[in-house]
Amino acid sequence: MAPIKVGDSIPDGTLAHFDEKDEMQQVSVHSLAAGKKVVIFGVPGAFTPTCSMKHVPSFIEKSEELKSKGVEELLLISVNDPFVMKAWKKSYPETKNVKFLADGSATYTRALGLELDLAEKGLGVRSRRFALLVDNLKVVVANVEEGGEFTVSGADEILTAL
Amino acid sequence: MAATTPSFAFSGISSSSKLHRISASSSSYSYSYSLRPITPLRAHSSFKSAQIAATISVGDKLPEATLSYFDSEGELQTATISDLTKSKKTILFAVPGAFTPTCSQKHLPGFVEKAEELKAKGVNTIACVSVNDAFVMKAWKADLNVGDNVLLLSDGNGDFTKAIGCEMDLSDNPIGLGVRSRRYAMLVEDGIVKVLNLEEGGAFTASSAEDMLAYTVVLDLAIYVKSGPSVFG
Repeated sequence: MAPIKVGDSIPDGTLAHFDEKDEMQQVSVHSLAAGKKVVIFGVPGAFTPTCSMKHVPSFIEKSEELKSKGVEELLLISVNDPFVMKAWKKSYPETKNVKFLADGSATYTRALGLELDLAEKGLGVRSRRFALLVDNLKVVVANVEEGGEFTVSGADEILTAL
Repeated sequence: MAATTPSFAFSGISSSSKLHRISASSSSYSYSYSLRPITPLRAHSSFKSAQIAATISVGDKLPEATLSYFDSEGELQTATISDLTKSKKTILFAVPGAFTPTCSQKHLPGFVEKAEELKAKGVNTIACVSVNDAFVMKAWKADLNVGDNVLLLSDGNGDFTKAIGCEMDLSDNPIGLGVRSRRYAMLVEDGIVKVLNLEEGGAFTASSAEDMLAYTVVLDLAIYVKSGPSVFG
């Protein structure tokens, strides 16, 4: 699949997460994103340094600002299972309205064309680092990093686009 | 994989007798065995159809493999199976996934709790293996306050798990777990598997620290004989 780009419609897919009642739920991406402005951002792995210390916190910090500019959902996707995502979410003192969604088999990540083969590092297929601003299912901004570095995929870049 | 109830294989003892929970109080141990219909004395390989199929068996030497972990300084390290088992008594136990309920609440904590006791019985190394990456294993270790007595090792690509035939393919499962390890606990001496308790999937019936502790006792008492089931008449 070619990487998703500005102008494309995001595919639908099912992701898993533990809700506020601590129950495992499967959610459809379209059900979360239809008719709204949302940010979908992806990381190579839960608990990995850059992801944990910079990328995710940037969205947690700016979540109010993003909300005031009309972004209703902040959807974090990683190729990890939902148990790991739940534990990772708990490791932050607060996550505001960032949803930690598990794409355990990398199905949705592949549908976006944003997979990254890290088998050599014992990580299997993961996601590239990215941030998409999606308006009613259409990609308005697509910031995709080359490798695991963190240069364009943070919250600030999305804010400047709004 | 043919799924049957877990059976424990003692090298040389060819019966599917079930070793019930051994209660240990100070130095007295009581055993209760319930013997199922005794099958004729046979070599292990012909038991495969009656047992859960696994490439590794009691008496086998573990294949070489490299596992990874973050040390106390946060540096990524590797450990090979020979590092972990050569000339040592090692307990290797595996979980289907870090942070999953049974693994986190019972299996791993059980080994942390019994680590001192196991070491007193001559076990040199206790290691937990999971098909998770080393970052996740490190976070899990910190989350459960696991000290240095139990190593948490990442079999990131599942290579070791597949080499011993203990994988379980959960790729069809919608929550996205991919290929993971079945739950097991094994006692390994100088690289040779002496005891192997392999669960069906993620069940938790015979692979706990207490079960392993019981086996270390059994080995001490040399009940580990090569005659037939009549020993337990």
